[in-house]
Amino acid sequence: MTTQLAGGVVLIGWPQLLLASGFVFVTGALALWMQLGVTKDLAIGAVRTYVQLLLLGLVLGWAFSVNQWWVVVGILALMTVAAARIILKRAPDAPSGLFWAAVTSMAVTGITVTFAVTGLVIGADPWYSPRYVIPIAGMVLGNSMTGIALSLERVFSDLDARADELLAMSALGATPWEAAHPSIRTALRAGLIPAINSMAAAGIVFIPGMMTGQILAGADPLEATKYQIVVMLMVAAAEVIGAVIAVLMSYKRRFTADGVFLEKGLRD
Amino acid sequence: MPETPHMLDARALTVDRRVDAGLIRVLDGVDLALEAGTLTDIVGPSGSGKSTLLLALARLLPGVEGTLALEGTAAETIEPRLWRMRVAYLPQRNALQPGTVASNLTLPWRLKIRAGLQAPDEATLREALDRVRLADVALDRDVARLSEGQAARITFVRTLLTRPRVLLLDEPDAALDAESSAEVGRATREFADAGGAVVRVRHHVADGLADRRLRLEHGHLTEVAS
Repeated sequence: MTTQLAGGVVLIGWPQLLLASGFVFVTGALALWMQLGVTKDLAIGAVRTYVQLLLLGLVLGWAFSVNQWWVVVGILALMTVAAARIILKRAPDAPSGLFWAAVTSMAVTGITVTFAVTGLVIGADPWYSPRYVIPIAGMVLGNSMTGIALSLERVFSDLDARADELLAMSALGATPWEAAHPSIRTALRAGLIPAINSMAAAGIVFIPGMMTGQILAGADPLEATKYQIVVMLMVAAAEVIGAVIAVLMSYKRRFTADGVFLEKGLRD
Repeated sequence: MPETPHMLDARALTVDRRVDAGLIRVLDGVDLALEAGTLTDIVGPSGSGKSTLLLALARLLPGVEGTLALEGTAAETIEPRLWRMRVAYLPQRNALQPGTVASNLTLPWRLKIRAGLQAPDEATLREALDRVRLADVALDRDVARLSEGQAARITFVRTLLTRPRVLLLDEPDAALDAESSAEVGRATREFADAGGAVVRVRHHVADGLADRRLRLEHGHLTEVAS
């Protein structure tokens, strides 16, 4: 088995890729033997990893070669819509009709933070440079998606848990904001936990993915570290901005036009 | 001479509710007129819509048909939150916020609707608690350490302190012992005698405080013979 070097990067051939898959086969066999009931999911997950990432590689290769702003914007739009759909699936307690709240929060977060990093920190030229914009947008959207989904799920489950208190607050003349404020605070805290945990553990418990990738690609570790710090801080900011937008755009859906909390029995 | 308007006037209140079996009519054109200085008890079987009626009167329920007027002023001309300041609804289930007794009692004055209004001072809060047999409850006690009956009386006192015109009480003595129930009943009667109007939903036997008793069944209100 031979390895090739390209620009300091060890290239992985198809045989090596299949060898790596062998570990999944071993895990699958173990799951089957222990009757864990996850063998099928594991197999599907492995196949999806191959298909989705190979497709991504092809799309990225095409986007880099075309190098047009509309291609980059189109890919960002697709990523945003896909992320919004995943957010709504992860928040089963959320009322219907939140698609645009999810899309807006993801789009604002993605555009602001991604272009802040690529334009102001990295200084990408041209501004839409797909080699920088798409991977960084992927990290920003992926992480803020988790924060937004957690916040949305928490705000609606917390509002439901406080139904009696909310009725009492409405009876005293509270606005939806006054009644919902404790739940909004709880939800935003919950949405921030992954970002805080990840910042606290970075470099001690794990080496972040982007930094790992750059080091494997032959980059100087200190330079890779600088990139990673920028990305981690921006991702934390993205989680906060996205969660705040999503929660503020959606919590009123649990209240009537007259500002009264809609209990479970009163919802359509 | 023009007729004095009722304190609260409800006409043809109709509420439909979707249940597993389909759409049911909970209130079927209910009329209810409350005079100042009166206490009205509403009785009826569980699930007959007594709480629904109180929620409709407090404008805390969406999808209610019919008309409401407060001292002759149509509900449409009164902003819902202002209406709820004057027509106070006390839910059946206690719902205090995490914090102290004092912070819960003064909660209404931290809301935008009462911005600029003076919250009751400590002496007023103390006096209000004493009136419902809560003399031993310190104002700085954490509400998590209250019994259900104590919490019920605190929410009752809080509602009284907001000085509404109409008091809608949903089973106010359900969690109370006989003595506390009598104190709450006495305070409720005093509120009515001072010019307010009260509606109580009750399951207990008549305590002799009400001026009239109405029965809600099959969506209709009927007078209970005394």
